[in-house]
Amino acid sequence: MSEQSDAQLIAEILGGDVESFRVLVYRHRDTCTRFAVRMLGSHADADDVLQSAFMRAYRGLSKCRDRDRFGGWLYRIVVNECRTFASRQRQRDLRFVNDGELLDRAEAKKDEPSAEDMSEQIDFALSKLPREQREAFLLKHVEEMSYEDMSAATGVSVPALKMRVKRASDTLRRLLEGVVYG
Amino acid sequence: MVENRDEFPVDTSAFAERVAGHLRRPERLDPSFDDRLMRRVEIEAPSLYARNRPNTARWWKTERVVRLSPLGALALAAGISMFVALSTLAVGSRDWRKAGTPDVAAAAASTAIRSDTVNLVRFVFVDSNARRVELVGDFNEWAKGTTELKPSAAPGVWTVSVPLSPGRHEYAFIINGSRWVADPLAAKSSDDFGTESSVIRVGASAKSTT
Repeated sequence: MSEQSDAQLIAEILGGDVESFRVLVYRHRDTCTRFAVRMLGSHADADDVLQSAFMRAYRGLSKCRDRDRFGGWLYRIVVNECRTFASRQRQRDLRFVNDGELLDRAEAKKDEPSAEDMSEQIDFALSKLPREQREAFLLKHVEEMSYEDMSAATGVSVPALKMRVKRASDTLRRLLEGVVYG
Repeated sequence: MVENRDEFPVDTSAFAERVAGHLRRPERLDPSFDDRLMRRVEIEAPSLYARNRPNTARWWKTERVVRLSPLGALALAAGISMFVALSTLAVGSRDWRKAGTPDVAAAAASTAIRSDTVNLVRFVFVDSNARRVELVGDFNEWAKGTTELKPSAAPGVWTVSVPLSPGRHEYAFIINGSRWVADPLAAKSSDDFGTESSVIRVGASAKSTT
């Protein structure tokens, strides 16, 4: 694909070159997808959220001032879109309805953890975290962002983010006891 | 003795890394994602950004044959002469105004005479450690590499003069090609995503920025 920097692509998009936006999307889509799927627990929901997030990014591109940090700017949009979607989802209460049954399944699998279902159990444990802890854990450990970048993307202070990551790790450790060691 | 205590130390344990390893597996959306998105973008693009601007800039490169009657050619020649004469007048006028307005205060006086006056605004930035200072703002599409400040005689003082239309403008400095800095002495503004910049109002009450 293109060797142009994000800043160069943005300049072309603002000049009317729509295809440069396709390149920009291609470049950032996969990391955003991973984050959105982990946050929302569904590819279909992630698709909806990312369509909305990329459109919002396109519409607001002229407001992206520090263009060399487009990735961080885009993350902030994706994080906000995931939050908005999750709050609506919570109201609808469509997902993870039967917690008791799922917890029993997770408990049963603790006795016989295998490589293939370990990811499934980790996904489930992640879904049990409060939204803000899940967000902080993913940004820190999965997307490997610095706390400063996390703070810019979430609008949350660094000490608060550290607290959330710590609490997320503690909860995951408890939920995944016997499944993941370390 | 000061105790270096972090109440919530970063969890870099093997446990967190193992969990994260599973969560880092790639995820793919429906293959139609890009096309669906770009269809929406195509619909909104004409009203958002200057559509086909790259092409309009190239119109003069296209070879065209224009057939004119003798009378038409005469009219065209007269038109071109008139255009050249008016252009000369306009350029002369702009140069006079530029030379007479070294700062915003002087420029403000000229705005009272003509509403379409372009004011020459001098931006000053002080940083003794800077090796390169750039100015970005709504007047240059926030594009890096377009407006560079020059070092002045005084050490650490960088300046540039930029023509600005009357009204409110937002700007920031970029130091050494990467560090984004809002003007410490100007009113602040931030976009929806937290990037801070500064505000200058050019017009009757305008003043120089430092």
